[in-house]
Amino acid sequence: MFLPKRGAAADLIVIGASEEITGVYAEPARNEIRGMQLAVDQINKAGGVLSRQVKLVIEDNANNPGTAVEKARKLIQVDKINALIGTVNSANSQATSNVCLEATIPFVDTGGHTDSVTGQQCHWTSFRTCHSTWMETHATGYSIANKLGKKWYYLAPDYAFGHSLLDGYKDIEKKLGVTVVGEDLAPLGTTDFSAYLTKVLNAKPDVLIIMQQGQDLINCLKQANSLGLLKRIAVAGPQGEIENFWSLPKEARVGYWGFEWYYKSALVTGKNKAAADFIKTYTDLYKQPPTARSVFGYVTAQQLAAAITKAKSTDAVKVSQALSGEHFQGLWQGDAYYRDVDHQLIWPMWFGQVRGDGAGGDEWNIFEVVDSQPGDKVEKPADDQKAVCKLNYPA
Amino acid sequence: MMKFANVIGVSFMAVLLVLLPLLLPAVGLNISLGTTVILFALAASSVNVLLGFTGLMAFGNAAFFGVGAYGSALFIADVNANLILGLIVGTVCSTLAAAIIAPFLIRRRGIYFSLLTIAFGQVFYFIAYRWSNVTGGEDGFSISKPPIFGGSSPTLNGSSYYYFCLAIFAVLLFVLWRIMRSPFGLTLQGIAQNEARVRYLGINSDRFIFVALLLSGFVAGLGGALYSVSIAFSYPLLMDWHQSGDFVMMVILGGVGTIWGPVIGAAIYAIAQNVLSSFTPAWQIIIGGMFIFFVLVFPKGLLGLGAARRRREEEASQDPDVAVVPAGLIEGRQP
Amino acid sequence: MIEHLAPEIVNGIVLGAFYAIIAIGLSLIMNLTGTINLAHGSFMTLAGYLAFTLMSRGSNFWFALAASAICTAIIGLVVERLLISPLYKRVPLYSLLLTFGLSLVFEEVFRLIWGPSTVPFSAPPELSGATQIGDVFLPTYRLFIMVALVVVMVALLVFLYRTRLGLRLRGAVQDAEMLAALGTNTQLLYMTNFGLGILLAAIAGVLAAGLLGLGPTMGNDLLMPAFITVVIGGMGSLAGSIVGGLLVGLAISITTLYLPAASEVIMYVLMAVVLLIRPRGLFGEEGIFG
Repeated sequence: MFLPKRGAAADLIVIGASEEITGVYAEPARNEIRGMQLAVDQINKAGGVLSRQVKLVIEDNANNPGTAVEKARKLIQVDKINALIGTVNSANSQATSNVCLEATIPFVDTGGHTDSVTGQQCHWTSFRTCHSTWMETHATGYSIANKLGKKWYYLAPDYAFGHSLLDGYKDIEKKLGVTVVGEDLAPLGTTDFSAYLTKVLNAKPDVLIIMQQGQDLINCLKQANSLGLLKRIAVAGPQGEIENFWSLPKEARVGYWGFEWYYKSALVTGKNKAAADFIKTYTDLYKQPPTARSVFGYVTAQQLAAAITKAKSTDAVKVSQALSGEHFQGLWQGDAYYRDVDHQLIWPMWFGQVRGDGAGGDEWNIFEVVDSQPGDKVEKPADDQKAVCKLNYPA
Repeated sequence: MMKFANVIGVSFMAVLLVLLPLLLPAVGLNISLGTTVILFALAASSVNVLLGFTGLMAFGNAAFFGVGAYGSALFIADVNANLILGLIVGTVCSTLAAAIIAPFLIRRRGIYFSLLTIAFGQVFYFIAYRWSNVTGGEDGFSISKPPIFGGSSPTLNGSSYYYFCLAIFAVLLFVLWRIMRSPFGLTLQGIAQNEARVRYLGINSDRFIFVALLLSGFVAGLGGALYSVSIAFSYPLLMDWHQSGDFVMMVILGGVGTIWGPVIGAAIYAIAQNVLSSFTPAWQIIIGGMFIFFVLVFPKGLLGLGAARRRREEEASQDPDVAVVPAGLIEGRQP
Repeated sequence: MIEHLAPEIVNGIVLGAFYAIIAIGLSLIMNLTGTINLAHGSFMTLAGYLAFTLMSRGSNFWFALAASAICTAIIGLVVERLLISPLYKRVPLYSLLLTFGLSLVFEEVFRLIWGPSTVPFSAPPELSGATQIGDVFLPTYRLFIMVALVVVMVALLVFLYRTRLGLRLRGAVQDAEMLAALGTNTQLLYMTNFGLGILLAAIAGVLAAGLLGLGPTMGNDLLMPAFITVVIGGMGSLAGSIVGGLLVGLAISITTLYLPAASEVIMYVLMAVVLLIRPRGLFGEEGIFG
């Protein structure tokens, strides 16, 4: 079998994007794509990479790991991509990551949070931009104990993602001297949360920590509201996706959440010029402010291009080495880097409150950031990760 | 004796399948899509054993497919990285799964059979979903491609894996064809057409249905075992009832009760989904529309169109190269 | 944990009433024409979205509830005439597949019109809040749902047992050919019946939207328990659907309390057990479905 020369066809750098365009993650996926697209357009306007234009080939993985594998292979074999980015669903992230290792193509997971991608099943070809579950729980753990109290009740979705969030909180609860008055695991896709919420009302914690995501979170908050729980007990959680809160009725937009990024806060963007430009261009282009997902897409595409430039080559080993450990200025205050040991992007995490109405005449502006934690404080120590993750670069 | 037209048809399909790894890249598709087509065709054939030949509306075969996938993947990951052994283990698991639920199913017919297969399929789905220590839960779990005989034997990739699957598929298709012409197969078709008459002959149709379920579980499980190795991954959605519905649809698209129908249906379905989703996010409308169109306009599937005519010609020769579409399946009772 | 049992039983009953109303709609359609309607959930979602659109244009909840339910039922009638009625002479598999395809189309159309995420649908303010009785919190909205569902069920029973049309519908289930021979337009009956089933789904859909996130798959998430309810209760029996719904609802919420991990599988287990003891479900009649 002959090996095609990747991307050489029309003197292009080809980047593949695999996203959940259809299915329950369609909206976060769309925002990631918008971020990528914007980054690629800007790179091309500035003359491309290695004086070649960058082409972004987008495929729908239909929120199904089997399809994700199929599409990753199609991108690699047919479109001859130089690198692959994308994914929201953790199962898709891991499945795609494995295909890319097999084909020795660099892969940057934009939005699948599961620990394994940069943990037990890390690969030298794989990187991750969004925070790991460990970072989310540790960052929010400090802030919750600080702002809301130390008597906690856990409500977690009963699957791998929920379990790893729960493990994260259990690790931090010891450091903070927190009392846990209750813990419930609700199956993923639970439609009726009232059973759990009644138990919470009777346990009277300071804070109910809700680890549900997406549809489950929406169901849970809507029902907590109708039960009157939101008026009695503070709620908080590791990951507040603004896409979710925009689709909640106003009275259920409450609680304190971990934010992976936010477009309107001095604590997040500070005086970062690049961030201000990005927010303005993006909002003008898509008539909607960028979300954390947009930033995952943008930063991923941008850093991948930077790595190819630095490596002066599209060779997978060289690009991976160029990407790993390189400090850069992102779209927030302070720097960031994909760390050598496991290829996780180390960047800050924020914490804040959600409100019903948009503030300052901006209907989108429903978050208020109140706290931030630096990335290296909240991710697992690099030395611990060495035991779990073996990157095994080819000699 | 095989009719000339069928010799041409079979040779055409054979040549097409053998040349597929060359044809797919030429039209901008990848080889592993060919593998997927073949493995979905196996799953669809397993539905066909129940639906097409026995007249039972099975709507839960994705569970067998998934049990095969998990069985082989778990064995390969945790016990022995050996492709052949993994396939055997996966297939044994799925056949066992069929044996476990068969006693609940064999006495049921019609809607109850459908609903029970959906329900049992969902039980397997939730087990895979829940038992995350073993199955990886919703995230699924990945394996590395195993060497064919374990140890330092070669690992099959790309087109070599395609031909490996094709060889297994060809053998299985031939076996299914022989079975359907055997007294056992003819009895199954008898059950589809008029179960009461079969029973009057002193034949215990429940037992035949039991064996048909095992056969179906075996074929689907083999497809699943090969699939999890093909994508080096196993995940619960493989067992979801939507997946079962897709398999049934492949059979209907191609032609109920024909040997080649499921193959053609799987090819149309998998390729359409793959190609359409690259062009438009609204591909689900087109796939759904295709379901509706075929059900209304071509209920016997693409092959069924020709099969009905051929059957009349061959009635005397007793040579069902294309097995008989059970009359009762399409024309039901007046409600 | 016994002190949590009382609220769980209340929850279970509300949930069960929900499944029952969806199951009755499914059962009506299945019973008369042998159609397994996998698009039932899509009609629920559709009604929810229509109500949402009306309310965001300033209509109040009550008008939106009535108008969207009627519109959805009319769309249901069109679907029945165009797509489903041609299949009445065929075995149920075909309607099963057609409605499966239809639900895929609906889901994507919802996504195109109302976006992929859930829309912020909220219950009217007069129905928010909760009453506390001891340890039991009773949200007003849930009480309202329960009352509404009971009213709908009573109205349905009155229709089926006290009107001529209802009588004909029940007659058609027994022997449609005889009814046709006696000069009744059976196609019209099939249509009415389907519309009625969809009307029930639509009402349940709008009510559900106040409780769950209203997204493209909202109704489909409720469909599987409703099917199980039909099987447990026995096809063709309204009483069966009600009892089956309550059993499923109670089983789910009580397992949620003691063994959350099993709360999804419990209804399947319940179904298997019931079918082993009574092959046609609790109230099913011998011989209606093969």
